[in-house]
Amino acid sequence: MLEQLQQLADEALAAIAQAEDEKQLEQVRVKYLGRKGLLRQLQQGIKDIPAEQRPAVGKKFNEVSAQLKEAFAGRQEELAARPAVEDASADRVDVTLPGRTLRIGKQHPLLATLERMTEIFIGLGFSVVEGPEVENYYYSFEALNYPPDHPAMDEQMTFYISNNVLLRSQTSTVQVRAMERMQPPVRIIVPGRCFRRDNVDATHCHTFYQLEGLLVDEGVTFADLKGTLEAFATAMYGEQCHMRFRPDFFPFTEPSAEIALTCILCGGKGCRVCSHTGWLEVGGSGMVDPNVLEGVGYDSERYTGFAFGMGIERLAMLMHGIDDIRLFYSGDMRFLEQF
Amino acid sequence: MRIPCDWLKEYIEIDLPAEEIGRVLTMGGLEVEQVVEHRDEAGGAAEPVLVTSVTSNRGDLLSVVGTARHLSALTGRCLRAPSYSSPATESPVTADRRVELGPVTVEIIDAEGCPRYCALLIEGIQVGPSPQWMQARLEAAGLRAINNVVDCTNYVMLELGQPLHAFDFHLLADGHVIVRKARAGETLTTLDGIDRRLTPDDLLICDPGGPIALAGVMGGASTEIHAGSTAVLLEAAHFHPATVRKTSLRLGLSTEASYRFERHVDPNLPLVALARVAELIIQTAGGQIKGQAIDVKTRAFSPRTVTLRPARCNALLGTDIAPRQMSDYLKRLGFEVRRANEDLVQVTVPTARPDVQREVDLIEEIAVIHGYDNIPLTIPGKLAASAVLTVEQRTERRARHILRACGLNETISFSMISPRDLQKLGLPPGHPQTNCLSLANPMSEEYTVMRTTLLPSLLAAAQHNINQRVTEIALYEINRVYLPQEGSELPSEPKRVAGLVTGSPFTARWNMPRSAELVDFFWIKGIVEQLCEGLGIQELAWARANHPAFHPGRCARLLVSGRDAGVVGEMSPEVQQNFDLPEKVYAFELDFDLLIEKANLTNVYKPLPRLPAALRDVAVIVPDTDEFSAARVMETIKAAGGEYLAAVEPFDVFTDPKRIGPGRRSLAFSLQFRAPDRALTSEEVEAMMEAIYARLEKELGAEVRKTQ
Repeated sequence: MLEQLQQLADEALAAIAQAEDEKQLEQVRVKYLGRKGLLRQLQQGIKDIPAEQRPAVGKKFNEVSAQLKEAFAGRQEELAARPAVEDASADRVDVTLPGRTLRIGKQHPLLATLERMTEIFIGLGFSVVEGPEVENYYYSFEALNYPPDHPAMDEQMTFYISNNVLLRSQTSTVQVRAMERMQPPVRIIVPGRCFRRDNVDATHCHTFYQLEGLLVDEGVTFADLKGTLEAFATAMYGEQCHMRFRPDFFPFTEPSAEIALTCILCGGKGCRVCSHTGWLEVGGSGMVDPNVLEGVGYDSERYTGFAFGMGIERLAMLMHGIDDIRLFYSGDMRFLEQF
Repeated sequence: MRIPCDWLKEYIEIDLPAEEIGRVLTMGGLEVEQVVEHRDEAGGAAEPVLVTSVTSNRGDLLSVVGTARHLSALTGRCLRAPSYSSPATESPVTADRRVELGPVTVEIIDAEGCPRYCALLIEGIQVGPSPQWMQARLEAAGLRAINNVVDCTNYVMLELGQPLHAFDFHLLADGHVIVRKARAGETLTTLDGIDRRLTPDDLLICDPGGPIALAGVMGGASTEIHAGSTAVLLEAAHFHPATVRKTSLRLGLSTEASYRFERHVDPNLPLVALARVAELIIQTAGGQIKGQAIDVKTRAFSPRTVTLRPARCNALLGTDIAPRQMSDYLKRLGFEVRRANEDLVQVTVPTARPDVQREVDLIEEIAVIHGYDNIPLTIPGKLAASAVLTVEQRTERRARHILRACGLNETISFSMISPRDLQKLGLPPGHPQTNCLSLANPMSEEYTVMRTTLLPSLLAAAQHNINQRVTEIALYEINRVYLPQEGSELPSEPKRVAGLVTGSPFTARWNMPRSAELVDFFWIKGIVEQLCEGLGIQELAWARANHPAFHPGRCARLLVSGRDAGVVGEMSPEVQQNFDLPEKVYAFELDFDLLIEKANLTNVYKPLPRLPAALRDVAVIVPDTDEFSAARVMETIKAAGGEYLAAVEPFDVFTDPKRIGPGRRSLAFSLQFRAPDRALTSEEVEAMMEAIYARLEKELGAEVRKTQ
């Protein structure tokens, strides 16, 4: 009997504590403490137990009854002290009005493209280095094996500060600076800003970005150059995108190759953008000329290497459908907020 | 260069359509930009013309025969190599400086500029129009027909690649040709009728009376072939590429001849070209060769021999080409190949190919003829160490993320500006930022100097947006500025981070109180604080700053570890006016390299407090001057509060002459006290508050308003 009583008390206390409002609490009260409640029902069994046990059991009944009444009152007080939960159904907003928060800023599409390219080359084991934008003649031409007074320099359309100081027209200028600091293996990319005296129109600008790559080690081959750039092309634009290599001339590479991507607009079928060739010229590449390697003190018999340079603007324009290169430098919010 | 297909096919047996020839040449390193249909004026059949773009190392491809030779090498089709000669050129009269032959004397004084000069005299010619077939070909190739003599020289230039010149022999003083550098003050009227002032760098063809042609660039008007000419002295010379290039560049005069000489013409071509042009002139203008050809040859021009190791070729290309195959490729190019032994091949390179000097150049030739497409693809192995971004690069990326999260859009602008932009920024003459590198050859007045600050570019962008009726502007740029350095040719190129805001930063503004919807000084300052916070930069301090571009009352300098990190504030009314900005504009420009140096991306966790803080408020009234700045009051509170004072935050700042008196300011702060290991008793907290009150009164003379 005592055990039954204790079990009942525990159940009742739990139920009181769990009652979430006065209505529930009243139900609990009726169930356990009401005139036909469980406590009273149990109490009626008292006459069936031996007489000598009755005083103890009766005492326990009184304790439990008092305990429950106290818990009940306490819970009643708690619930009464709670602020009434108002009926929220009448309080409504027009959920179709625009939300109001801080506008986030967007990443510039050119730098986003550069960042993505950088990530792919990091995955291919290339580290990122930078170099000066204002360069001297030596690193721009001489160290890159440009013959003096050669028409190859005309193509660079260089801005000069003085006879010996100029704005770099390609990120290749960083090749020699990097090799002077390092010993092979050299495995770097150089993203950066370049300048050429090019008249500004929808597809040309005097300021542009390039990504240069350089790998010098023992046993580096032209096949490695092809494989690396093909891996980049598929990582950047998907399995259906390839890189085409075509003989070209750069003083600092031999053999040299122009590199072109499968036109990402027409998928290589030929369209207006790719002049119906199916290919988009994106830059130049080749095996580092032995003269460049010897110029920085590398043994060109032991070490070979490849280098490549890609323009970023065109890739970003094609990826995002941008038709005017000048937008990149406009600072126009209507443009920048779209990315 | 424009190559008519029918002309090309005179020198190669090939039946491919023009488009296919174009594709083969393009993939073989001679880019065919387009194939056009040319219809001659007589209305004959349309003939395809290949428009080629020749790389600057391949002067040998600037001719029909050169193109045919390359096409033959690429396709293996048979080259019909021309073998033009005549008795007069077979056995020329030769010497190393001067030849006198009958009425003609040729003399080279500048052997460096002109290593070889060949001449041939034809007498009894009759000048008139050239035959129709020749005119048609010249037109298809993009040249204008002039007369039979000049047309023949142009025809041979296009055909063989050797620029030629025809002098009216009777207009040449004493029949004497002298090749020398110009003397100061000499002038020459060129064929285009322009008087050219010459410099001692210019190489000239002269007669005893003075200049008669700009060597390798353009002939002179005084000896021009005209309708009445009866004798022609033909020039076929070899000029030094750089010499021709210098004159051509200086005069801004690029001709078919100079274009070819700059890119190197075969020094052994002149006599062949003379034989060919004499044949054509006699055929079209009559006359006969007088005597022998003259060949003033200051040195020998022998073919070069280069050694090739086939194994090295395969090692560089990553291929497995058989040595016999390599030899075959080289022979197709007109190179002579001699197998020395198993591992070595001796290759004799014709003088038309000065670009092939070393083994690696031969390897390129082999790769081109083999086809780049036939070289396999491999991934280079042997990663020495994994590639990662440096701490500086990661910090820069983090900074860009934070600024965007603060609502600023990333932008980029030009490195070149105009000094006017710095004036518009309010910088007085002599301000350090007006010391810019200037471009020696700018393209326009807008961009003449290298920028020393990013602010003018951001302000110009703001102006552009306002002009487009965009009034909500939030921009940042991280880029370099260019600062001239004492004792160094190159500038330093530190990175700056600059930001600009105006208007509202919110996505929507409906029902917002006007005072809350627009950015202000504390908004832009908040962005800078968030940037520093996000980069883990400790030891920040702020001070009032004077900067000519900013509002004098709303401009602050950021100090990081006591070093000047840049300015933040509202643009001055003058700057706003200069850039036509109607709303208030706020901006900052910071030393990004300093921020990177002081950044710490790896934050150390501090255990969370286990016990709630005790909260108290304190308000002080102090003079409304910079001396009694909020920062100073807070420092005083912190110094007096002791180790358990966990936070001090301002919550109310005002001036009100009526309530607190004129020239005074009230600053109220909420304080949090917390001990790491136990609850502080209210007695302890009161004791600390008393210490704070006392310090504020003593050190600042503040009137302390004690609140609970």
